[in-house]
Amino acid sequence: MSTASTPVRAAVIRVGDYSVRLRGRTVAAVAGCVLALVAVASWSASTGTFELTPDRLWAALTGSGTHAEEFIIWTVRLPRLATAVCVGACLGLAGAIFQTLTRNALGSPDILGLTQGASVGALGAIVIAGASTTVVTGSAAAGALGTGLVIYLLTRGSDPSGYRLVLVGIGVAAILAGVNGYLLTRSDIVDASRAVFWLTGDLAGRDWGQAATVAAVLAAGGIATLVISRGLDALRLGEVTAVGLGAGVGGVRATALVTASILTAGGVAVAGPLAFVALAAPHIAARLTGSSRSFLCAALVGALIVTVADAAAVFGVGGRQLPTGVVTGVVGGVYLMWLLVTQRKKGVMP
Amino acid sequence: MTVSPSPLAVENATLGYGRLAISEGLTVDVPDGEFTVIIGPNACGKSTLLKALARMLKPSAGRVLLDGRDIHSRSTRTVARRLGLLPQSPIAPDGITVADLVARGRYPHQGILRQWSARDEAVVAEAMEATDITDLASRSVDELSGGQRQRVWIAMVLAQQTPLLLLDEPTTYLDITHQIEVLDLCAKLHREGRTLVAVLHDLNQAARYATHLIAMRDGAVVAEGAPADIVTDDIVEKVFDLPCRIIEDPETATPLVIPRARPRDLG
Ligand SMILES: Nc1ncnc2c1ncn2[C@@H]1O[C@H](COP(=O)(O)OP(=O)(O)OP(=O)(O)O)[C@@H](O)[C@H]1O
Ligand SMILES: [Mg+2]
Repeated sequence: MSTASTPVRAAVIRVGDYSVRLRGRTVAAVAGCVLALVAVASWSASTGTFELTPDRLWAALTGSGTHAEEFIIWTVRLPRLATAVCVGACLGLAGAIFQTLTRNALGSPDILGLTQGASVGALGAIVIAGASTTVVTGSAAAGALGTGLVIYLLTRGSDPSGYRLVLVGIGVAAILAGVNGYLLTRSDIVDASRAVFWLTGDLAGRDWGQAATVAAVLAAGGIATLVISRGLDALRLGEVTAVGLGAGVGGVRATALVTASILTAGGVAVAGPLAFVALAAPHIAARLTGSSRSFLCAALVGALIVTVADAAAVFGVGGRQLPTGVVTGVVGGVYLMWLLVTQRKKGVMP
Repeated sequence: MTVSPSPLAVENATLGYGRLAISEGLTVDVPDGEFTVIIGPNACGKSTLLKALARMLKPSAGRVLLDGRDIHSRSTRTVARRLGLLPQSPIAPDGITVADLVARGRYPHQGILRQWSARDEAVVAEAMEATDITDLASRSVDELSGGQRQRVWIAMVLAQQTPLLLLDEPTTYLDITHQIEVLDLCAKLHREGRTLVAVLHDLNQAARYATHLIAMRDGAVVAEGAPADIVTDDIVEKVFDLPCRIIEDPETATPLVIPRARPRDLG
């Protein structure tokens, strides 16, 4: 019997009993995303109303710049950049988990109602309590987590396909969108404009505290994803086969839902509902890697989308800055249409 | 603890879906080292029994025992190394390749830091060879014919390398040659020491390949034993409501079921 040709196309690194499988294309895509991220970040750190040449940027970063240079880098641009990267990664990862869990290309926190839940939290705090930014952030996170919990409770137990999750999520999203509309109509003009601004999503003025919060959420979510990634992979084959292969399906599903909800809550609470990031990032990552099993790549693409969108937002239109969410919406919307038009034939493995 | 001689057994179990009970007080022992075939009319509960044996369905009363212990009390990974299941109609994710799908069978033997051992590789190649799908390795599963797809799923279950194999209608979709190939493969696995349980609809194939037959009707076991004792005109009529004659298979001397001609067929 011949066992010559490796049936699975991947490089394998083996050390004693341990082995790791690396797909060349996935490694290349991840490396490309990291390089692109560094490039975009250095560009956006050095441009704006206060321009920095590459050597001045380096000086400011290494602590040998002028007071003004160091202030603009360390207090204004870097925290905003760090927030953009972490928020994007949170949303990309959350989207990838939801898409795997629902086995549906549209399974993202925007469709499942988590974003709307965060909006209800934020709008409630703004309109009813006229609350401070910190309270609005906390309330938005609570809204997203609460929605995740409701969806979990409604879909627990019998869930032979991901469809139930998607349908329940769409229903929840519709109800919450109604609540948001109601909150907006009963608010006065000042609160309403603040609410609409929040609903668009923006990263202006983010500080290290907020960056650290999202970074912590991202780290926790990343570790949880690593732990359940094998189980999620088995779930792609459907519940019966996954159980047959020995995956703890109930635990994996619950952990995945909680993890993705926390990631969404962290990202949306700090930046507002940046449109389409969670939906588009996993698809772009799947195109780049030729397989949708790389959660790392989905997170990196999410970070890249938000960083690029934020740089474009700062650059603005006609000398005026735009809210970040406007740009991610345009970028994501265009991408989604392109996807729908070109992918009518055949998709990448979900 | 009483150790049952059979590695897998259903003990006085009620099986069903929600409030709908399919089997009540069902007791079935899967004999060790045998090739057991379950026969019975559509909707009599064969798949339901197989799902219960594979812990996909929890009995509302009674127990399913794996090696004498309640199957639901053991870790699903431990069970996955003992028994493999080929469901009646499994689904493959869009775009997955044949080799990738077969490789998933190694799941219970892998971990985050044991992703692809040399043994995984050899076992997957062997499973693909045994099911005659090596040439399809890089094809996408959803582009295959029903029969090719069925063989890919069988290969995945083989790659799991379990001493117990549960196969729900492994020969559906297959042409006659591939049906016989799959059954020959099952017989080979049985000779090599595995315990098999398969649901088959073709009584003649069941009689030819099984070493132990279980005939079911309306959720209950009507008869079980050696094929020669079970495939009789009485029992076949009782289980399937089909008047028939039994003759000897000229090839294997096993029973061959010949349905009786109805008066109008005689002209
Ligand atoms: N998931 C389910 N939910 C509710 N009822 C079910 C379910 N699966 C099967 N049943 C019912 O249980 C009964 C037994 O079904 P089962 O699938 O065990 O039959 P079977 O003997 O395998 O039939 P076949 O030969 O057609 O495969 C049928 O009446 C069927 O309608
Ligand atoms: Mg069946």
